[in-house]
Amino acid sequence: MLKIESLSVNYGSRRVLHDASLDVQSGEVLALIGPNGAGKSTLIRAVSGVIPMQSGHVRTNGDDFNALSPMQRARYIATVPQAVSLPPAYTVWETVLLGRTPYLNFLGQPSQKDEDLARRALDRVSALTLAERRVGELSGGEGQRVLLARALCQSTPILLLDEPTAHLDLQYQVSLLELVRELAHHDGLAVLIALHDLNLAAKYADRIALLVGGEIKASGKPEQVLRPDLIEAAYCLPVRVIKHPFSDIPLVLPESRK
Amino acid sequence: MLRKIFILTLFAALLVGCAPASISTPTTVPVSTVASTIEVPTVAPTPITLTDGLGRQVKLDAPAQRVVSLAPSNTEILFAIGAGGQVVGRDEFSDFPEQAKGLASVGGSMGQYSTESIVALKPDLVLAAEINTPELVKQLEDLGLKVYYLKNPKTIEEMYGNLEIVGQLTGHDVTDLVSSLKARVAAVDEKIATVTEKPAVFYEIDATDASKPYTYGPNTFGDLLITRAGGTNIGGSLKDPYPQISLEQIVTSNPSIIILGDSLYGATPDAVKARAGWASIEAVKNGNIFPFDDNLVSRPGPRLVDGLEQLAKLFHPELFK
Amino acid sequence: MKFRSYLFSLLALVLALTLSLAIGSVFLSPLELWAALTGHGTQTSAAILWSIRLPRTALIALTGMALSGSGAAYQGLFRNPLADPFLIGVASGAGLGAVIAMSVKWPYTFWGLMAIPMSAFVAALLTVLIVYSLARVGKTVPTTNLILAGVAFSSFATSLTSFLMLRSTGEVRRALGWLLGGASQSGWTAILAIAPYLFIGLGILIFSGHAMNLLQFGDDQAQQLGLNVTRAKTILLIASSLATAAAVAFSGIIGFVGLIVPHIMRLWWGADYRRLIPLSIISGATALLISDIIARVVLAPQEIPVGIVTALAGAPFFLWVLRRAKNQGYW
Repeated sequence: MLKIESLSVNYGSRRVLHDASLDVQSGEVLALIGPNGAGKSTLIRAVSGVIPMQSGHVRTNGDDFNALSPMQRARYIATVPQAVSLPPAYTVWETVLLGRTPYLNFLGQPSQKDEDLARRALDRVSALTLAERRVGELSGGEGQRVLLARALCQSTPILLLDEPTAHLDLQYQVSLLELVRELAHHDGLAVLIALHDLNLAAKYADRIALLVGGEIKASGKPEQVLRPDLIEAAYCLPVRVIKHPFSDIPLVLPESRK
Repeated sequence: MLRKIFILTLFAALLVGCAPASISTPTTVPVSTVASTIEVPTVAPTPITLTDGLGRQVKLDAPAQRVVSLAPSNTEILFAIGAGGQVVGRDEFSDFPEQAKGLASVGGSMGQYSTESIVALKPDLVLAAEINTPELVKQLEDLGLKVYYLKNPKTIEEMYGNLEIVGQLTGHDVTDLVSSLKARVAAVDEKIATVTEKPAVFYEIDATDASKPYTYGPNTFGDLLITRAGGTNIGGSLKDPYPQISLEQIVTSNPSIIILGDSLYGATPDAVKARAGWASIEAVKNGNIFPFDDNLVSRPGPRLVDGLEQLAKLFHPELFK
Repeated sequence: MKFRSYLFSLLALVLALTLSLAIGSVFLSPLELWAALTGHGTQTSAAILWSIRLPRTALIALTGMALSGSGAAYQGLFRNPLADPFLIGVASGAGLGAVIAMSVKWPYTFWGLMAIPMSAFVAALLTVLIVYSLARVGKTVPTTNLILAGVAFSSFATSLTSFLMLRSTGEVRRALGWLLGGASQSGWTAILAIAPYLFIGLGILIFSGHAMNLLQFGDDQAQQLGLNVTRAKTILLIASSLATAAAVAFSGIIGFVGLIVPHIMRLWWGADYRRLIPLSIISGATALLISDIIARVVLAPQEIPVGIVTALAGAPFFLWVLRRAKNQGYW
């Protein structure tokens, strides 16, 4: 499980994350929603260790991540970054194998086991046929799947995803989120996923946290967080929240401004 | 893959093909008489021990018979003292006397000499000068060659000293040569002592940028000879040995004589007259712009005396009818 | 075959080594070479081989290795195809150190003759230190800062060097000769002097391929995958700088080799740094050996500084390679 306690992050002198606290249990998907600039990416990057935190702790089962080396941390947390450009010359296979880095020696020579894991990860994201293709030739959706496969290779109990569905076609959004949910419910990972789309969050997350202006305004089950007053305050837009006609989850319908 | 192998082999073949053809085999040219120098009988062989300009002890069992010269000044000295027949190789820039051109070249431009060519000539002495680096001396020393590093003289008298040294190294008595040089210099000194007015002289080394040409500053032979020849070097008041002097300074100093040391590179009096801003200079107005062989002033050998004489004649023609 | 790339590169190197030993004022065929090496040759060929060609060939090969190896490392470190070992000012710093040393008349002793190479070496390392400190932001060293600081320091060092050269025109020829590059001191002393730094530096680089692959994905991803990014970059920087400084100390500034050879290796054998670095090292020796042969042969007995040959020959070759790679997006 992932315990984020009173996390505060600065960019220069500007505080962008105030005292954020979150728990992500093993086996659940927690969606992080909020307007652009709220600090979703910042939170994820701070948890994964690439930006320093001013105060607060990030723990798992007692271990404080700040006390760990990057290598040790990488065995706990795998991150799927937001729409990055990858060095085009590497093949998909080479890229995914890099996910085994925390378990390889400094020479980076993979064993049979590492290769098997990589193959299985690629299979899971339905990208096995892409293995020999160069990363520079992939479409946005294919690239995202490769990054997810790489993260899977890391065999970590915690998975972070930063807006992975941003540029994907509908079918890829759905298949990716279904896979993410399976990883949590079936494989027992603790998944923290930043999402743009409120309704996808409602459908695929077990719990939601709403981040506005660097502060966590609410967290809990989808119906607890996706309330009209909270959403309107966060997005400055009137909304109507109804119950989805075919399931129990809330459905957010934006209204036009008066 | 095959293509790469083919290209590599082709390349290798090309290299091997042109290599032997483009490397000249060194030849020695017998030198019987040298017109403008004095014939001196060679002295009997005795061991020679001297300390060279780098503080190194150089020991020869007998006067050197196969000398490689690494500087034009050294070549000139060798031929002047009558040792021309003992020179087997020279640097690329040695062009005086005419016989020197026929000797094998060992390189030398951009400071790069072909050590292999030097070794192949089997010299018993390599004569280096201050334009050669200590690293080169060490390199040749390491290859088992005897190297003598001849330091640049600072005065004409020190130049005589260098003639003596090379004379000892090659087994030639330079007494007569030095006496005749001294006599010629004394003759000039005598005449110049009577001079009351020393014309201001601008000596041009390079005027690619005509607004700031290069000239001789203090502590150079150019400056020394100009002064000894009865002139005043306008560059002598600057700080660096080879400074650039601004056109403004030239105009202010208003030299009555301009010496074109760059005439070997194409500078002509007409070209100087045509330069913008130069018209007001006395030397341009009265046409006293003279082409000059810079080697007579920059190569620290016996021809410095020639340089002195020619400059004196240009500065005070009335004394040298 | 997995090792095809190594096989080809090593074969090319052996060919270049043989040619370098064979070509000169006297052509030594492979048979004569073998005879001279095993002590059966004529006295002249043995003398030429052992005293002149072997040390020179060894120095050139080592220099080529150092320049290409660190060139590949710099390209990976800075994720920039224009990076070469002199990107952050090492060349200008070394040049400044050498020219400052040249203005002193050192005694003709072992240490006196080592003064200039040592000066260049120390200046090269100091430059990296200065540029690194200038570029540091807190605990990280952003690559953009490194490049900017390097360019700034380079301009400063180059202008200071030019100024010094102008003031002491007697030494200009010597300084130019050094700056243009070439094995100015042959002999085993030079090789013994630089060998330890070369082996340490290149040794580290050879084993850093995996870290460099990770760095290609950006600092963030590399860190998320488990690499201690700042530590890795620092080690890589030190290792390549050691190698470059050692190469420059005796051979002056030889450009293009560190830029072009890694590119060609990348084009032929792929971008995996675990292979790219060793291959660049091997082929760098080959490339510089061939350039040196050309430098000796083209205007014989006049020798051109190697730096000129690499620039003249390297640029068109590189353009040819670029044309072939244009549609492949291999970078």
